[in-house]
Amino acid sequence: MADDATKRVLVIDDATLVRLYYRSALERAGFEVAEAFNGVEALEHLLGAHFDLLVVDVNMPQMDGLSFLRTLRARDLPWSSIPALVTSTESAPQRIAAANAAGANFYVVKPLRAEALVQYASLFCGIRHG
Amino acid sequence: MPEFPSLTQDEFRRLCEFLYRRTGMIFTEAKRYYVERRVVDRMLSTHAPSFEDYYARLRADMHGEIEQFVNAFTVNETYFYREEHQLSCLTSDLLAARLAVKRRGDPIRIWSVPCSTGEEPYSIAIWLLENWRHVDEYDIEIVGSDIDTAAVALARAGFYGKRALMRLPPRVVERYFASDGDASWRILDELRESVRFTAVNVLDRAATLSHGQFDVIFCRNVLIYFDDIARRTAAENLFESLLPGGFICLGHTESMSRISALFEVARFADAIVYQRPLEVTARG
Repeated sequence: MADDATKRVLVIDDATLVRLYYRSALERAGFEVAEAFNGVEALEHLLGAHFDLLVVDVNMPQMDGLSFLRTLRARDLPWSSIPALVTSTESAPQRIAAANAAGANFYVVKPLRAEALVQYASLFCGIRHG
Repeated sequence: MPEFPSLTQDEFRRLCEFLYRRTGMIFTEAKRYYVERRVVDRMLSTHAPSFEDYYARLRADMHGEIEQFVNAFTVNETYFYREEHQLSCLTSDLLAARLAVKRRGDPIRIWSVPCSTGEEPYSIAIWLLENWRHVDEYDIEIVGSDIDTAAVALARAGFYGKRALMRLPPRVVERYFASDGDASWRILDELRESVRFTAVNVLDRAATLSHGQFDVIFCRNVLIYFDDIARRTAAENLFESLLPGGFICLGHTESMSRISALFEVARFADAIVYQRPLEVTARG
């Protein structure tokens, strides 16, 4: 179904319901979505496929969102600079600063409404919304 | 066994007593046909030549017959979005009240017991995805439990026929189910993974409490099968399974007020539910 113009998003979150919620919203808006349970699985996904945007949770087992971003940004690979939208339940300024330092392009405090997620994704993927 | 053997009064009484001790379910002479049908089915399945023979196998739990016997007596007729007004109450009132004592990222635990073949716990997950804007803000845990181990296995597998889906809007079916041909649909893997299933008898205190404490419990249409003593035991176990301030939803024909004084009645726009009072501080 996907053609070259279809934008691909990797949703990284350990909560199954959250992944389903984000995926469902993004797919309805025409994005193609893959899911990862944590940073380790996300890195594995990135080795095998191209993505236009990462939606990254912070607190996850084994490799959390910020460790994942630091690992990703430190590598000298074409996909090391994929835009990353970090989503978190933490709203303290130092948390946001830490995420930005780790390589986040944007930080949103949950809850993230479906419409807002689609807007952010469209923005990062360069899609015009009619 | 061509003929339908009818149980003597004594056989019927012994069987009902056995069932009561194991499950808390009460059957009287008025339900004789219902009981006999199931006993005959089990006798045929176990090739028992007589009631006495079958009853001996049952008491000895030969080849796990007790579990099979209990499974034969549970009612697993349900469908998605049953008693939708309670789901609506869940998101508009119950969870809103629970959030007042939570911080972002905290667990929200919901228990569907008995969960039968999974329609209720999956309905809760779907309802939250469709109607609750805090889905990604809290750590939601949904547990489905039933005494019927065969039902629990079906719930885990997640296949449903057209009848179970009849109340779901088509777009919801399209979003959360994949057609499996033959008028069967399978619930998406993520949804299956988002609900944890266990086997439990709510009259078993230790087993019930081993599930931890919940913010909301759905316990619909099971207390009606119990007698007064079993109902009270179940109510006490469920009370302890609730966090202080947590809610329990019963079937629309059931009332906790007649069973136990532990709970407070909470009346909301969409439903009447029962609440475990917030802990009272120790009196001086």
